[in-house]
Amino acid sequence: MPRVSFEHITKTYGLMKVLDDLNLSIDDGDFLVLLGPSGCGKTTLLNLLAGLLDVTDGRIMIGDRDVTDLDPKDRGLAMVFQSYALYPTKTVHGNLKFGLSASKLPREEIEKRIAWAAKLLQIEPLLNRKPGQLSGGQRQRVAIGRALVKNVGVFLFDEPLSNLDAKLRTEMRLEIKKLHDQLKSTVVYVTHDQIEAMTMATKIAVMNAGVIQQFGTPDEIYERPANLFVAGFIGSPAMNLRKAKLSTATGKIEAVFASGVRLDVSDYPFAQTPAEGAEVIIGLRPEHFTLAANGPVAASFDVPVQYAERTGPDASAYFRFEDDLLALRVEPDTAARLTPGEAVSVSYLKGKANLFDARTGQRM
Amino acid sequence: MTDLTVSQKSLGAEVAVRSAPYFPRKKKAITGRSIAVLVFLSICALFFCVPLYVVITTSFKTMEQIREGAMFALPNVWTLEAWDHAWNSACSGTRCEGLKVGFWNSVYILIPSLILSIGLSIVTGYALALWNVKWAGPFLFVLFICAFVPFQIIMFPLISMTAAMKVYGSIWGVAIIHAILAMPVLTLIFRNYYKDIPQEIMSAAVMDSGSFWKIFFEIILPMSGNILIVVLILQITSIWNDYLIGVTFGGLGGQPMTVNLANLITISTGTVRYNDNMAAALLTAIPPLVIYFFVGKLFVQGITAGAIKG
Amino acid sequence: MTFRWSRWSPQLALVPAGLVTLVAFIGAILWTVYLSLTRSRRLPEYEIDWSEWGRQYERLFKDSAWLISLQNLIVLGLGSALAIVFGFILAAMIDREKRGESIFRTVFLYPLAISLIVTGAAWRWMFNPELGVEHFIHSIGLTWVNASWLARPETAMYGVILASVWQSAGFYMALMLAGLKSINSEIWSAARLDGVSLFRLYTEIIIPMMKFTFVTCAILLSLGVIKAYDVIVAMTNGGPGQSTYVPAYFTIQALSAKGNLGFASAAAVLMLLITAVIFLPLVLLTAWQQRRSGARS
Repeated sequence: MPRVSFEHITKTYGLMKVLDDLNLSIDDGDFLVLLGPSGCGKTTLLNLLAGLLDVTDGRIMIGDRDVTDLDPKDRGLAMVFQSYALYPTKTVHGNLKFGLSASKLPREEIEKRIAWAAKLLQIEPLLNRKPGQLSGGQRQRVAIGRALVKNVGVFLFDEPLSNLDAKLRTEMRLEIKKLHDQLKSTVVYVTHDQIEAMTMATKIAVMNAGVIQQFGTPDEIYERPANLFVAGFIGSPAMNLRKAKLSTATGKIEAVFASGVRLDVSDYPFAQTPAEGAEVIIGLRPEHFTLAANGPVAASFDVPVQYAERTGPDASAYFRFEDDLLALRVEPDTAARLTPGEAVSVSYLKGKANLFDARTGQRM
Repeated sequence: MTDLTVSQKSLGAEVAVRSAPYFPRKKKAITGRSIAVLVFLSICALFFCVPLYVVITTSFKTMEQIREGAMFALPNVWTLEAWDHAWNSACSGTRCEGLKVGFWNSVYILIPSLILSIGLSIVTGYALALWNVKWAGPFLFVLFICAFVPFQIIMFPLISMTAAMKVYGSIWGVAIIHAILAMPVLTLIFRNYYKDIPQEIMSAAVMDSGSFWKIFFEIILPMSGNILIVVLILQITSIWNDYLIGVTFGGLGGQPMTVNLANLITISTGTVRYNDNMAAALLTAIPPLVIYFFVGKLFVQGITAGAIKG
Repeated sequence: MTFRWSRWSPQLALVPAGLVTLVAFIGAILWTVYLSLTRSRRLPEYEIDWSEWGRQYERLFKDSAWLISLQNLIVLGLGSALAIVFGFILAAMIDREKRGESIFRTVFLYPLAISLIVTGAAWRWMFNPELGVEHFIHSIGLTWVNASWLARPETAMYGVILASVWQSAGFYMALMLAGLKSINSEIWSAARLDGVSLFRLYTEIIIPMMKFTFVTCAILLSLGVIKAYDVIVAMTNGGPGQSTYVPAYFTIQALSAKGNLGFASAAAVLMLLITAVIFLPLVLLTAWQQRRSGARS
C-alpha cells in the first residue's frame, strides 16, 4: 500500500490560481480526509491525484512512482464519485466488470473479484439490476464495489455520502471505515462534513482558499487548531473566539477581556514568554465550560442567559458576553432550567484555552 | 471574529515534504489526437463553407468570367452589377421588377404574421399552463398532433376558407395561414415555458388581483422576455424562409421573396444569368443570416425548442 | 349562482385557438379525407359513389410518378439519415475537443438559418452541368468523374440528399451536443479512470445513454423528409423527368399543375398516414416515458 505525496503542486485555471505550491504527504494505509468549505480546492487536489486534471506545476508521487504525467488508468488508483457515476445502461455486474475489461485480466479472475466485492458489500442480489432500479445506498455500494474490484492500493472518494440521507450516511460512514480497516489501503477522501472527517480519518488536511491550513490527526486538529480558520471551522457549536489582552500583572499570565473578566492561561505552553499587553484571540470550546465550578478552573464569571436549545441527547446554552453570544455545551436537564435573562455563573476549565496571535491568526 | 485572515501558507503541515526538490514542468504540447480531431473538424467546416463561398464569389463576377467555368476562382473584376440586376430588374414569372418587390412583400407579410401568431399562441399557452381550464390535457395532445400534420392535407380546405374570407392571394391571407400553422408549436413552447412558473406566484397573483388579463399583462408578460425573444427569432426566420405558404396563398400580389427567387432560378428563358441568381439568393439569405450571426444562440434555442417541444 | 368573469376568462381565451384547431386542422383534415373519396377534379364535388370510393387511391397506385415518389421518400430518408450520423460525429468531436467549439458550431449551423430555396439555388449552381463543380474537377484532369448529379435521373436524388445533409447536419449536431452535454461529467471521469477505450466508451455507454436523443432525431428527420418540398422545387423541380418526385411535391403538383383535387387529396391522405406511422411510436414512447417517470416518483 503506497504512500502518496504532493510536491510543490500549483494549479491555475486561466489567471486564477487554485492551488499554490502545495505540499502534502501521507503514509501507506492512511485515511486522509481533505476537509474544507466548498471552493477551497480540495476536489481540485483530488482530481489532480486521479489524473482527471493536469497539474500546472509540481509533482505527484504514488509509492515510488512519479505519476504526474501518467494517464488516470495507469496510476493504480480507484475513485468513488459524488454522483456515483454508474454507467446507467449497464447492470451492476456490468458496471463492476467494465472497469476491469480494459485491464486484460482473465475472465475467471474478473468474476472472482466481482463475486468477492459483491459479497463484501452485500450487493449479490443486485448484480443483475440496472442502476436506475437501485436506491441511493445501493448505488453507493455499487460505486464502492466498482472501485474495490480494481484491487488497487489507493482509493479516492469525492464527497461520496453527500447524496444520502442522514441515517444512511451514518451507516455508510461506518462501513467505509470498516472497509479501510479490513483492506489497509490508502484512502484520500474529500468532504466538507467535519463529522465524516473526525470519525473516519487517520489524518485530516483542513483546506481553505487553496492552502492547507493544518495537517494532522483528528485529535490534533480538534485539540490544537493551528489557526483561527481551523478553530472556527471544526466543532459544532463552533469554538468561541474572543479578543483579549495578555497580562502578567498578578504574577500569573492572564487573558483580560474587554469587560475585565480575567482568564488564567499560565499553563498554556507558550513558545516564548508573551509580552505584557499582547493582543490575542482566545478560543474557548463550548464543552470546556462548566456551570458547576468544582475543580480547577481558569475563570469564573456571571453572564445572562440568552437562550438554550436541546438537540436530543445534547444541549447548548447561549449567553450574552461582551455584545456577542457565548456558546456552551450543557446538560439537557440544566438547559431546561435556564431562563432567558437570568445571570448564571460559568467557569472555564483550566488548561483548555486556545490562544491565537490577534495579528497573524496563528496559534501561539 | 473569523474574518481575521490567515496569512501564512501550509501551516502545520509538519509531514509536508519541504525539502523536496522543485520540478519545473514543461508546457503540455497539444496531443496528436487533438490535432487529428481539429483537422477533421476543419475539413468539415470547409465543406460547410464552400457553397457560401461559391455563391458570394459568383454574385460578384461578370457573366463573361462565369462562362469560363472557373467556379472557385475569385472574381477578376468585382462588380455589383448582378446585385443591382437581382434587386431591380430580375424577372420573376412575367414581371421583371427584381427582388425588391418580394423583399417588401416579405416584410409586409412578416409583421402581421408575427403579431397574429405570437399573440394567439402566447395567450393560449398561458391559459393552458397556468389556469385550471377544462380539457387542457386533451387539447394539448391535439395540438401536439397538429404540430406534425403535413401541410398538404389541409392545403385545399385552407385555400377555400381564405378565398371565402376574401383574403386569398393577398398578404393578409399569407399572414393568417402563418399564424394558423405556427399556433400548435408556439403554444406548446409557451405552455412549456409557463409551466415552470411556480404555482405560488400564480396563487399570490390570483389572490391579489384575480383577473386573467391583468395577471397576464402585469405579471406573466414581463416574465416572458427570454422566451418571447427566442420565439420571435424562430418566427422571423421561419416566416422569412417560407416558400410553400407564400407560393400557395400569396397569389400574384403577395408573393414573398423566396417565391421570387424560386421563379428566378427555375423559370429560365434565354440565357441564364447565374450571377444574378446568386446575388438574388444572397439577398434572400441575408436577413436570417444577420440574425443568426448576431443572436445565434437564441436562434438555436428556438429551433431546438420548436423541434422537440412541438 | 353569480357569473364570474375570472372563471370564464381563461376558457374564453382558449376559444380562438380552439376554433383554429377545430376548423383549420381537424375540419380541414376531414374535408380533405372526404374529398379524396369523391371524383372532384378542378372544383370540389361532394357526391361519393360508394361503389368505387377508393377510385382515387387505385389511380394513385397505378401512377408511376407516385410510386417514384414513395421510392424517393425512402431513398431520401435513408440518405438524410447520414445527417444524424454526421451530426453525432461532429458533436462528439466538438464535445471532446473543446477548442474552437463556438466557431465550429456557428459554421455547422448556419445553413439552417437559410431558406431551403436559397440552399437549393446554391447547390443547383454547384451541380451545374457546364460550369459547376464537374467542370472544375474535369479541368484539374479528373475527367472520368461525374459530378453533375442533378442532370441525370439516376443520380439526381443523391444531389438532393447531399444538399439536405448539408442543410440539416448542423441541426442534429446541436441536438446531439445538447444530449452529450447532459451526460454527467463524472461518467467521463469514471471511464477515464477505468481506462476504457474511446470506441467502447461510445458504443457501450454513451450511445446507449443517448437513445432518446437518437430516437428524437430519427423522428424529426422522418417528418422533415415527408415534408421535403422546397429543396426539390429549388434544385430539380421534380426532374429530370419525374425522377426526383417526392410525395409532398407530387401532391402539390397534382393540385396546382394538374388541377386534380380528388387525386391530390388522396395523395395528401396517404402522406398523413405515413406521418402517423412515424409519429405513433413517438407518442407511445413519450407516454411510456411519462408513465415510467410517474411510477418512479
